[in-house]
Amino acid sequence: MRKQVLFYLLTALTVMGMVLAACASPQTPPSPTQAPQTGDQGGQAQPQPTQPPAKPAEKVTIRLTTWAGAGEAAELQQILDRINAENTDFQIVHEPAPDDYYTKVQTTLAGGTAADLIWLSQEWIANLASKGALLDITDYLKNDSSPAAQLDDYFADVLKTAAYQGRYYGLPWIAQPVVLYYNKALFDAAGLAYPDESWTWETFKEAAKTLTKDLDGDGRNDQWGFTLNGWPPPQMFIWQAGGEVISNDLKSSPVDSPEAIKALEFYQEMIYSDVYAPPQATIQEQGFGEMFKAGKIAMFMGGAADDLDRVEGLDVGVAPVPAGPAGRQTFAWTASTVIAAQTKNPELAYKALVQLTEGIHGWKIVPPRKSLATAEAISRIEPRKAKSAEAIAQAVPSMRSFNILPRHQEWDSIFWGELMDPLFQKKATPAELAPEIRKKLEAVLP
Amino acid sequence: MVISAWETYFPTLIRWSAVGAGVILLMISLYYLLRFFKVKHEIANGYALILPWILGLLIWNLYPFARSLYLSFTQYNMFQPPQWIGLDNYVRMFTKDPYFWPSFRLTLFYAALNVPLGLVGSILVALLLNRPIKGIGIWRTIYYLPAVLPAAAVALLWRWMFSPTSGLINFTLQPVYKLLNIEPLAWFTDPDLLMPAFVIMGMWGVFGANTVILLAGLKNIPKELYEVADLDGASGWSKLIYVTLPMLSPTIFYNLVTGIIGSLQIFTQAFFIPIPRASGTFLNVKIYQEAFSFGNFGYASALAWFLLVVILLLTLLVFRSSALWVYYEGEKRS
Repeated sequence: MRKQVLFYLLTALTVMGMVLAACASPQTPPSPTQAPQTGDQGGQAQPQPTQPPAKPAEKVTIRLTTWAGAGEAAELQQILDRINAENTDFQIVHEPAPDDYYTKVQTTLAGGTAADLIWLSQEWIANLASKGALLDITDYLKNDSSPAAQLDDYFADVLKTAAYQGRYYGLPWIAQPVVLYYNKALFDAAGLAYPDESWTWETFKEAAKTLTKDLDGDGRNDQWGFTLNGWPPPQMFIWQAGGEVISNDLKSSPVDSPEAIKALEFYQEMIYSDVYAPPQATIQEQGFGEMFKAGKIAMFMGGAADDLDRVEGLDVGVAPVPAGPAGRQTFAWTASTVIAAQTKNPELAYKALVQLTEGIHGWKIVPPRKSLATAEAISRIEPRKAKSAEAIAQAVPSMRSFNILPRHQEWDSIFWGELMDPLFQKKATPAELAPEIRKKLEAVLP
Repeated sequence: MVISAWETYFPTLIRWSAVGAGVILLMISLYYLLRFFKVKHEIANGYALILPWILGLLIWNLYPFARSLYLSFTQYNMFQPPQWIGLDNYVRMFTKDPYFWPSFRLTLFYAALNVPLGLVGSILVALLLNRPIKGIGIWRTIYYLPAVLPAAAVALLWRWMFSPTSGLINFTLQPVYKLLNIEPLAWFTDPDLLMPAFVIMGMWGVFGANTVILLAGLKNIPKELYEVADLDGASGWSKLIYVTLPMLSPTIFYNLVTGIIGSLQIFTQAFFIPIPRASGTFLNVKIYQEAFSFGNFGYASALAWFLLVVILLLTLLVFRSSALWVYYEGEKRS
């Protein structure tokens, strides 16, 4: 009998061990008596050097999850340390998740273990807000006099990405416009004038053609005027031609309008052409931005915060993007911080959100606020950008963000997979493809 | 930091210890319960000991299984409670979704190529590896190696091998391209080359695992049969057709069934290698996309159940046909 009990015990222990080993990550919802402490995943690994050791227990912990990698997280931590030192009622604990970010965000939101504050890029806010996963902060914002909560100070077109059906779910912390980086030495060698506000698509195309050269005379080009690789987003050129991919009322996807067709033809003519830009294989082999840094590309459309204008031994100028037939709209890469609807401390999370947003507006360029998006502010926030600040500030008034749908990911997969990909591979012309794809795209609209 | 880590993990540790203790209690009480109903000692003991496994099966296999069937009749995005929509998901699948039929065709086509090629190939390799060659152990290890490598790593390796410019395959074929004066093949971006590329990848993994099983089958064929055949003056070919293959047919049958299931469920390679969307996508990748990229868990469940039914039907068909061609030792051939 005793032998048998021992046998059961050992077996059960083994089973338990296996269960423990298999389920090391706590997937079970926390018991109701247990307040969410610091992060379950890797929160402990974050060094928090300046956090005062005394009385952290009285502060409510507000968890923040971001996609920040090690370097970015260290910079963000400085902002958090300052906020945490200034506030007695809460402290923000950062839980970076650089890998597979959106899968993790969705899973934790669905599983009830999400962080209180979450970074989301523009494509995701409508999606998660439509499912009721995000906290509606419209009323908090109305009663808040802090500068970062003044919605009329934000660029309207950027702010709309944090809204869903007229309610606000987050505060944008960046609006990074696309600008034109150019290699001055290559322009000088070709005897061309530097790009400026007078440039249009035609001037740009002409220059790109002139700057594409076979330098060593082996019959193959080794310098190109421009480069495209699905970036910059084709939507930007459609806007510049006066077209739309998703209308402002989210009711149509007119990718077959004459304006959109014109822009897509322009894009298709240049991409991988070897007359204006390197072939796909060359880009894959040598790297997209790397080719510009290596001095093989004369013009590159990059985000305003890119490091392309501080490459050792490369004299790089920055100009606004060339204008299309209908304007000089430029794409603004936008992201916001949102609050999970399941947060246990909505008031404190909101308070933390506003302070964090203010902090990031002094860290990332360009801050999405009219009062902060000046050349002077940009060079103060990022001194390394001082000489480009003027051109960046010039691009700011014409920047645009996407019109976002709740099912944006589905829309994107059709737009890229069935319209852009065949165009890039020169399997079809925009006029052939767009009417049919429009129907598929519009099936996803709300 | 040490204290905070302890604070985080301690409650979890307690919870899991409680689960373990609970399982022990359940096992012991099940034993005494069965004994109370006069069940034999050994039988009660057996049931008590497999209880953890039964619980695991119920909780982690059967429940999700049943739940996904339920979800396939609902609209569910993980955030809001599922809404019953009847057969709408299935109607959408068969009549409205423009990607469903291309994806299904692509998956079937892949299986139709992959299964027979893989089977014939692995039989040939097994026959080779069954010969008394020098260093046979090394050869067998080499052929089995693909089966023990992680599928994701293999997929990435193949992605590089097939890369149009820097990949090993196009590099090796360069002289051929020059000779024929053609452009290097764009393996994954050209829709026409997609299927060959995937089948080649599929072969590699299939050879390893199947070959070992077939080899075991070959080793099981009694030597006497070959001796008798030799006495009758049978040629090598006749021995293959009349002795080896019939005796091997149960193993081939097993490989055919697992091959069909495995090919229809292709996921890892397809997940790691982006393919032109216009040519559809493999059904399992589509299921993943619908669920985890688009949040349509109900529709994804419906797709998964459709795939299950297809696999079930095909497997049944193969089982039914087995009477015609599968020969078990001791059976009389009619």
